[in-house]
Amino acid sequence: MKRIQLNVNSIDHVIEVEDNRRLLDVLREDLGLTGTKEGCGIGECGACTVILNGEAVNSCLVLAVQADGGTILTVEGLEQEGEMSRLQKAFLEHGAVQCGFCTPGMLMSSKALLDRNPHPSEAEIREAIAGNLCRCTGYKQIVEAVGAAANELDA
Amino acid sequence: MIGERVIRIDGEAKVRGRAQFGDDLNLPGMLYASCRFADITCGKITRIDLSKAKEVPGVVRIAMHDDVPGKPTIGLIRQDQYPLVDDRVYYQGDVIAIVAATTLEAARKAAEAIEVEYEAEEGIYDIEEAYKPGAKLIHPEYETNVVVHYPLRKGDVEKGFAESDRVMERTYRTGYHEHAYIEPETVAAESDINSGGVRVYGSIQNPYNTRGILAGFLGVPLNRVNVLASVLGGSFGGKDDTATAMACRVALLALLTERPVKLTYRREESFRESYKRHPYILRYKVGYNTDGKLTAMKIDILADSGAYSSQTFFVNWRSVVQATGPYVVPNVHTDIRGVYTNNVYTGAYRGFGSPQIIFAQETLMDEIAAECGLSPTEIREINGFKNGSKTASGQALDGHEVSVLQVMKRAVEKSDFQRKREQYIQKEDDRYRYGIGLAISHRGCSLGAEGTDAAAAVVSMQPDGSVYVITGLTENGQGLKTTYCMIAAKELGVELSDIVFLDPETATVTDSGATVASRGTLMGGKAVEVAAKEVKKRLFGSVKEHFEAETPDDLVWKDGMIHREGYESLAMKDVAKKTAFSGVNLSAYGWYRMPDAEWHHHTGQGRAYNTFVYGCQVAEIRVEKSTGKLEVLKITAVHDAGTIVNRTGAEGQVYGGVAQGMGYGMLEDYNVQNGVLKSENLDEYLIPTAMDVPDIDAEFIENPDDYGPSGAKSLGEPTLELTAAAVNNAFAHAMGRPSDSIPINLEKALIGKPLNKPHRSSETGEAKKLRLGNLSVEQPATIAEALDMNRDQAARYLAGGTDLLVQLRNSAKSARLIDLSRIPELTTFTHKRIGSGVTFTKLLQDTELMAKYPVLREAISRIGALQIRNRATIGGNIVNAAPCADSVPPLILYDAKLRIVGHDGEREVNAADFVRGAYRTALKRGEILESILLPEPEGNFLWAYYQLGRRNAMNITRMSCAITAKLDSSGIIEGCRIVQGSLLARPGRLLEVEKAMTGQSPIHGLTDDAEAVLRKILENEIGGRWSSEYKIPAFIGMVNDLFRELAVKGGLR
Repeated sequence: MKRIQLNVNSIDHVIEVEDNRRLLDVLREDLGLTGTKEGCGIGECGACTVILNGEAVNSCLVLAVQADGGTILTVEGLEQEGEMSRLQKAFLEHGAVQCGFCTPGMLMSSKALLDRNPHPSEAEIREAIAGNLCRCTGYKQIVEAVGAAANELDA
Repeated sequence: MIGERVIRIDGEAKVRGRAQFGDDLNLPGMLYASCRFADITCGKITRIDLSKAKEVPGVVRIAMHDDVPGKPTIGLIRQDQYPLVDDRVYYQGDVIAIVAATTLEAARKAAEAIEVEYEAEEGIYDIEEAYKPGAKLIHPEYETNVVVHYPLRKGDVEKGFAESDRVMERTYRTGYHEHAYIEPETVAAESDINSGGVRVYGSIQNPYNTRGILAGFLGVPLNRVNVLASVLGGSFGGKDDTATAMACRVALLALLTERPVKLTYRREESFRESYKRHPYILRYKVGYNTDGKLTAMKIDILADSGAYSSQTFFVNWRSVVQATGPYVVPNVHTDIRGVYTNNVYTGAYRGFGSPQIIFAQETLMDEIAAECGLSPTEIREINGFKNGSKTASGQALDGHEVSVLQVMKRAVEKSDFQRKREQYIQKEDDRYRYGIGLAISHRGCSLGAEGTDAAAAVVSMQPDGSVYVITGLTENGQGLKTTYCMIAAKELGVELSDIVFLDPETATVTDSGATVASRGTLMGGKAVEVAAKEVKKRLFGSVKEHFEAETPDDLVWKDGMIHREGYESLAMKDVAKKTAFSGVNLSAYGWYRMPDAEWHHHTGQGRAYNTFVYGCQVAEIRVEKSTGKLEVLKITAVHDAGTIVNRTGAEGQVYGGVAQGMGYGMLEDYNVQNGVLKSENLDEYLIPTAMDVPDIDAEFIENPDDYGPSGAKSLGEPTLELTAAAVNNAFAHAMGRPSDSIPINLEKALIGKPLNKPHRSSETGEAKKLRLGNLSVEQPATIAEALDMNRDQAARYLAGGTDLLVQLRNSAKSARLIDLSRIPELTTFTHKRIGSGVTFTKLLQDTELMAKYPVLREAISRIGALQIRNRATIGGNIVNAAPCADSVPPLILYDAKLRIVGHDGEREVNAADFVRGAYRTALKRGEILESILLPEPEGNFLWAYYQLGRRNAMNITRMSCAITAKLDSSGIIEGCRIVQGSLLARPGRLLEVEKAMTGQSPIHGLTDDAEAVLRKILENEIGGRWSSEYKIPAFIGMVNDLFRELAVKGGLR
């Protein structure tokens, strides 16, 4: 059992965790942030993607103790005072959401991309979300949504 | 509004992370459940010992077969499936016991601790074996392994063959297809003190199926079971029988413990238990005349039903109806049989018996066209259905526009099919062949003669004009709620935002059947329309005098207002209030029943479906000649689904269906050996990533149909069913031969047949545990501290964790870990020395460094995906020494040295000597790989690198090759290096081939001599392996490609 500090969606938490708990477990169970999903448990599907210290990671492959002191953004942290981000709105407008299970991870990978590269090409978008499997959409409307959100950022 | 682009009404909750999926549910006092699966695929259980399991702290109850209060077997049509088996095991996904405990970890530990002994028996895993007379019976009580046999007889097929100019016979095979919804299944249940029954939640596609079966299992009336489906994370037909079996187990535990119980599957458990698409063996014999006219078709199909019958009855029926395709065939003789085996059972999956037959019949049509000297479109124009055509079951296609040739014409125009058909043949180069192919289909809408087809909806207007819509069908992610609300809004003339969709409970709405068969819009939408019309009629009653109108259609119902020219408009909110307060009920029940279809079982004749939809897809592909790697470049999809309701949603259906169909056709190889699942998770069962799915061009032909609401009908399944067939026809166009089976994996594409790893009975090994055991993690700040912590050499070093945590999850063993990720010496790098703890992303961000070592860049930029590269370290990749480790070959190529530190001091090892074999290295216990030392590259080398994987991202590298070379002024190789990866026992240089190429030109790839040298090395080293028949020619091809690439880079070509 260790005491760790996490800044999650701009809120500081001090949490007691067992060493074998994954960041994913702490987010979902200890903090009640169930927007982050588990789809495979081995880092293949990307449903558990969160942004840790500025980088998209699979939270099923990070022990919570390894994230100690880290800054984490989850899907719940994308909105500002209840106002959805442009990326979230673009996902809605472009039909990038069907069942919605991959959506939180998809949003986080896309957000990490746009933070680093505000003008991604289609190939760069596809590469950034290649670790996020989606079974519903065929990705097309997701790629369009990320591209549209990037363009809007210019406006 | 109908036909426009509308934002889905449940979308906001999903993008804000607020949608409540099954596993997000937490009920007060809830227990966690875990299943004890069978260890064998067939045999008798002789002993079950729960004693160790019961000792696990936190265990509350373990339920088994004898605890079942009602009927122990379940099944939608035939009750042959045991949610908890008695004393026999039928397949590997059978569950022997289920544990409820206060924590998930305790439940899983206890399930592992249940000891089971068996008398294992030889099972049957081959459909043809299972069908043979005298075969061992899987379920002896049914006296045959044939679950169902559907014959279809039309005309005289033998006479037809005798009178045909030609006859063609072909056999096709299709594989399993896993739904691979991204959300693994969850079902939760709690006892309901008021009803004495249970409430059930979770990822349940067909709540009424679950309710009916669960009531039987518990031995309670239907009104004691209330099923409330959670937000579904994808289903595609898949969360039906499996979810029901899970519901039986957790509901039983909920009653036994009187506490809520939740069961969430890990991916491996989902794959293991859940049913798949049926593998088919299809034998087609077709008579045709040289003008291309079809005369007779004899079809014999065997379908693998697996251990249980599930929906084989319905899936195979759709196949028999549609097996001859959208073509007029005067003489037909079809038999399809679903057969039990000890494989995983099979059931409903988007397409439902159509993708298999479309693959066969459309491949066949192109072959016949070629024999007759016709184009793919000509043969289809000659034989394709037109208005009034008669199907194989003798049904006249009437009452709707038969648009199969119309959609084909449009798809052909849109994709520029005819021109590309000629152009792509010319386009062949050293590396690729190109092809374009198409497929067409017809599809009966909804259930047809499967059974009674009806659906219910409630539309309820409140006194302020706001509206509730409730239906008996469910949102699977396809956008059904939005479509229903649009239909209600259009009918009532209110805004979409005035409507709230209430998630249904089985207790509140009439059984509407299942959300299957692409019937959501057609049936449920029509029920909504009926209900909304009734509400409108009642509203009309209170305004007809004001407007002096005869019928509601005399008025304009729009934007929350009611208008008639010459009269004062009225606001809906006022009309609603007035109507409600006058005592009129503004809640109406809509009930829509499809006219009965008919089917004569012994002849296979009848009006199978009331109406049909039609589609055409065109695939453009390229095949890499050396490796057989197939890539889809573009799909053009044209569908007639009647009137489109929500255009954004409809397009999403096409894109998603195409991606699944593409995976089915070329990637999704479900490896099952003797009933044992080898593709256990998404690292081995590969579905397309964003880098695999090509551009998809979707278009709709909208012929309205009276059977559906506002002329809309069905779309979900047609989008998937065509893609594999179109891809195969494009493959045939490129390669001059079609594949006779799908998926067209690398081996089939290159050598024309699949290669299967031989089954070894000794290869059982210990079952994977799929949870992390007890861990203790220490976090040193320096290397010295780390070494000190590992004095006993019993700890393991943890860096990014992307490999280690997966391994630890497999074993669940306790471990002491020393986390190296906080040691600055390891996590920093210069251009000469790379700390072992540097992540791939950090390396790739240093473009200057990467420009110096371009092969390293190419290799590591393809590792996993970004999330992996952000965590995974170069040192971890090297030390783990997986045969597929991508960073090792470039380091060998560049003569890197590895600095190792240990208690005995420090040493350096050549990268080439570090990896000793699969997962074996030169590291001694307790030692740490400290850094990688990269020498300055000597001069300017040309380089080329190729990493072969089945996908374009998230690959496990099949083989890789890196080459550097220096050319003299005349283009002759002065010196070169060739390093192979993931091929021989360990990665390394191919010195003899390097020697053979020195002094030669790379312009035509390997010289004959060099190729002979390489072939000999490969035959000596891996010639005996099961995979060598593919790997040897493919690797030689890759090396040839790379040398030619060098020649291009050297300006020689």
